[in-house]
Amino acid sequence: MRVFTGLDQRQRVQIGPVMAPVHNVVAFLGLSVLSAALACVSIAIGSIELDFWDVLRVVSGGPATEDERFAVFTVRLPRILVGFMVGWVLAMAGATLQSLAQNPLAEPGLLGLSQGALLAIMLTMVFFPAVPRPYYPVIAMCGGLAVGVSLLLLVGRHNAGGIAILLMGIAVQTTLSSVSMMLLLYTPQEESYQLARWMNGSLYYSTWENVARFGWWFGASVVALLLVGRSLNVFDLGDQMAMSLGEPASWSKPAILIVASTITAASVSLVGPIVFVGILAPHLANSVSRATGASRLLLASVMGGLLIMSADLLTRVTTTYAYLPIGLTIVIIGAPAFILTVRFAAIREAR
Amino acid sequence: MALGPVRERTDPAAEAGARGSRLSVIPVCLAAWAGCVLLNVAFGSKAIPMTEVIQALVAFDERNYDHFIVSSQRLPRALIASFVGACLAVCGALLQGLTRNPLASPGLLGVSSGAVLFVVFFGFYWGVPNAWHGAVAFAGGWFGFFSCVLLARVARIAHDPRNLALILAGAIVSMAYAGIASALVLANESLRAELLSWMSGNVNHYYIDRLTDVWFVGAGMLFVLLCLAPALTLITLGSDKAAAAGVAVKPVTLCALTAAVAGAAAAVSVCGPIGFVGLVVPHLVRPVAGAHFSALFPACALVGAIVVLLADVVARVVFAPYVLHTSVLMSLLGGLAFIVIVKRHYLTVGVAARP
Repeated sequence: MRVFTGLDQRQRVQIGPVMAPVHNVVAFLGLSVLSAALACVSIAIGSIELDFWDVLRVVSGGPATEDERFAVFTVRLPRILVGFMVGWVLAMAGATLQSLAQNPLAEPGLLGLSQGALLAIMLTMVFFPAVPRPYYPVIAMCGGLAVGVSLLLLVGRHNAGGIAILLMGIAVQTTLSSVSMMLLLYTPQEESYQLARWMNGSLYYSTWENVARFGWWFGASVVALLLVGRSLNVFDLGDQMAMSLGEPASWSKPAILIVASTITAASVSLVGPIVFVGILAPHLANSVSRATGASRLLLASVMGGLLIMSADLLTRVTTTYAYLPIGLTIVIIGAPAFILTVRFAAIREAR
Repeated sequence: MALGPVRERTDPAAEAGARGSRLSVIPVCLAAWAGCVLLNVAFGSKAIPMTEVIQALVAFDERNYDHFIVSSQRLPRALIASFVGACLAVCGALLQGLTRNPLASPGLLGVSSGAVLFVVFFGFYWGVPNAWHGAVAFAGGWFGFFSCVLLARVARIAHDPRNLALILAGAIVSMAYAGIASALVLANESLRAELLSWMSGNVNHYYIDRLTDVWFVGAGMLFVLLCLAPALTLITLGSDKAAAAGVAVKPVTLCALTAAVAGAAAAVSVCGPIGFVGLVVPHLVRPVAGAHFSALFPACALVGAIVVLLADVVARVVFAPYVLHTSVLMSLLGGLAFIVIVKRHYLTVGVAARP
């Protein structure tokens, strides 16, 4: 590891083959520490209150009562892990799509990717109720992929970036959501209730089994992040620049879209669709520390994990007073943060 | 930005200048609307002969069962359908004109989902009674539209002549709010039973009380917009030109938007979010009525009413004896129409590569 001053007079850090500006590395470390701290708080708070040392003792496997063990290992820890991973994946998908579409408002939900995954699961639940639960991620992925591919077919491979695919995504999303509304309305009440549960994002069903199952996708997303980072870096410069730099945009854009649909679908099969994180996390990460390529994706992803963790914490803390679904807590936490960062940016510009 | 052939189709300015307003379509639409109302009243699980329908309207006989059906079920239903269709279509026409974007509609710009969210939210946390339903939905419509504008502002996309940021922000806001609303409803079974049908959009005669509560909002919207129509048409030519022609651009725009959002929220408060009309009807009407608002608004109102009336007939007749939710049919159609509009306006040669 060495620190040096780059050609643009910025301090950079080199660790092995990876190189990044110092402020990005600092931001990453800061966000990671923040996430760890939040995880500790999240483990400590609940129907059984623990203090910091209790958390350390229980987590490190020290002597603990049966109740403490149950609270920490069976209920809280998997939920925290699932929340972080899902936030990570969604934020990464969002950041990727934003570079791809060259639009800060792109989002996996907006492109109909989550809706496709969701609808695939719902159709399976209605028409093939015998299919066991463990297959759901695969089914969701097929749904997400189907939407991704049909988007590409609808707009043509060469328009895989830009505004056309976003608008077409909205169109597909609207159509699909009307189909899922139909399922919701015209299935028997009990079944409709089950479907509606799937339709709403919730971390309530987090178990170790889910953590293990999703862990693969989490790992895959990390690999994808490193692979995709460079291409995105080039796309951010604009289509023509990308092409003149030798980026094979006609296939790398569709490929990136497919990656985004797959990881989004995986997260939907676990916790249902969660909107807004995909826009919010990259934006917040960007206001913490400007970055490009893989480091931008990394920062956005950690921010996403942090967001969902804190939103879920809010959901859990308030649960005795009022029921706040995770979609609502994300808006409650995210909207002020969003507005504040924009105000700060405006103030900085005015100087 | 290469607009090419698209400009001729969507730019209201060109059409307004070239063809002027065409008020002559209005009587035709009016006649068609009257016909559709009769049709809507006559069809259903029990078909009622046309003569009987007219008799029920003109000389009501309270001992006649058919007359009873007409006055207590079919006619309210037709009135609701007309009201909703008219409000949403006019609001859509205004939004498409002002944003210069063919995809704008009250459903997409957060009005519907905001109204749904507020009704559910207040019902869930404070048990706000049904009597307040209209007012809450109204506030919610505003809230939804406002948050969508805020998000679009915040995103600050640099070069955006067709307000695409607004469209994207609207889609995101709608999704987020609808998601929250359905999550809340899920946690409260009685609320779900009460609201699910309304939340998914439903034209039904037992909402007639709500229509009597809010009909004047819709009428007011149409009145305000008609008064402002000449000024609004000038604004669609470009705010600089309008200002030069002596239009107070900001107050007029604000006034028109207030009226339109109020009207759309009133429609949503009666029978929930209904897609398709707000998006598609302006597109259907514009080639015939021209883009001058003083002809476009009334024509849109009538055609919007006609579309919902017909969809309602289809929803009742096609799957008889089951009655389909009118809105489910319409939102499916709306989604498909959206695909077609994107194809036509954004994927034609020369337009596709725009940022």
